Amino acid sequence: MRLECNSLNFTYPGSRIAVINNLSFSIQNPGFKALFGPSGVGKTSLAKLIANSKFRGAKDIITENMDTILYSYNLERLPGWSSTGNHLNKVTSPEKQSLKERLIEIFELNDVLGSRFSQLSMGQQNRMNLIRYLVQDFDLLILDESLANVDEKLREAIILAIKELFSDKMFLYISHNLMEVSKFCSQILVFGKSSEKKDCFVIDGQDCKKGYLVDKKELDVTMLEIMNAF
Amino acid sequence: MLFRRIYQFLIVYIIGISFLLMIKMGLSLSDYVIPGVPLILETAGQVFKEYFFDVMNTMSVAVLGQCLSIILAFTVGISGRKSSWVGSFIKVTAYNIQAYPIVALAPIIFILLGDGFIPRLLIASMICYFPLLLSVLGIMATPVADIEHFYIVTGRMRWQLEVKIRAFENLSKLTTVISGSATLAMAGTIVAEFIAANAGIGYSIRIALYQSDLAKILVALFMIGIIISIYQGILETMGEQIKTRWSISKGGEVL
Repeated sequence: MRLECNSLNFTYPGSRIAVINNLSFSIQNPGFKALFGPSGVGKTSLAKLIANSKFRGAKDIITENMDTILYSYNLERLPGWSSTGNHLNKVTSPEKQSLKERLIEIFELNDVLGSRFSQLSMGQQNRMNLIRYLVQDFDLLILDESLANVDEKLREAIILAIKELFSDKMFLYISHNLMEVSKFCSQILVFGKSSEKKDCFVIDGQDCKKGYLVDKKELDVTMLEIMNAF
Repeated sequence: MLFRRIYQFLIVYIIGISFLLMIKMGLSLSDYVIPGVPLILETAGQVFKEYFFDVMNTMSVAVLGQCLSIILAFTVGISGRKSSWVGSFIKVTAYNIQAYPIVALAPIIFILLGDGFIPRLLIASMICYFPLLLSVLGIMATPVADIEHFYIVTGRMRWQLEVKIRAFENLSKLTTVISGSATLAMAGTIVAEFIAANAGIGYSIRIALYQSDLAKILVALFMIGIIISIYQGILETMGEQIKTRWSISKGGEVL
């Protein structure tokens, strides 16, 4: 499993400024990877390019052993005409029902399955949205701030559970939480500020798993490396 | 909703009558030109029953015409929602045709089809069809990206689901446009009856006009206004009920 970009450039139609300029990196193997950097450096644009089948397979974006790539983001909504539990059932295949039940429990959403999406809090909405992606078939799932507005403790539990349950899948996690990406991701693609024309770096994270304790010193080193990179 | 519609109409009607009476008094006009309140009331007593059935006749044609135009607008709007060649063609055609006054086409319809039920129905539906179509096209052609994204990337999107999502997200707009088009349908039917027909309140107004009987016209206007207000009120209440049944309002909206 490999995701590679070679001198990738992208400019939105009608714009003169390139969002992505000569970007090259390579990340391999399943697990949690992160896209990290200040706002406006092109993280979401890159994620959308990777997820868009029109752009894959060319020389500049190479996806090896990844047929299905899904992109989820934190502003997504479920239709409001029936309960969230109903919607989840409709998008879950029979063989994934037990996985869905387990995820609902881990994500602490059992109590709100009878509610409409608009009745949930923002954190609950994001968790509900993430579950429906996790019960689909995918090789790479891009999580664009998909756990925003979720409290830190639950977020940690969710990330650890995802890593355990989907150990053969690749996740590309977009977040602005330095501690989180340093602690849970195995590789972090750090975007430099485009105004300062800084390059993009891949930094190894602590890749914390369930039951492991993170060495605080090593975590500090990773965080420092990331901070120095952008 | 219903009562608000009725008293809003009554206020407008009373203001209109007061304005006419002020002109009558200011210019010392006779009852023959602008009737006084007693004459209006007397005329109302004479023609109330007749005009009530005339308005109901017109109303039935208008409701049927509106239903027809709703079905047609949704059919064309749904087919024309895509940015394909056909979609663009439908949109451009709709925008161009709606700019043409339907009333100007009415004589052609009467020449071809003669007086009667069908021309009235056709003109009523044509008059409220284009505003409806433009709204439906606008709603159906605008993606609701935050909801549709998941269904598109997972390959679950079907045209029925797409239409359902867009209609649901724009339920308020749709119910407002549908209830608003009731007035247009009624106006269309009255115009049709006024030009050439043998029934309905438009036909009665034409007779009153030939008799130069303003009192009858004012009574007819009252009957039309009050019945349209009731019909619109019912439509709006139905719209509210559909919205409440289909969606539950967000708790935070009251804050």
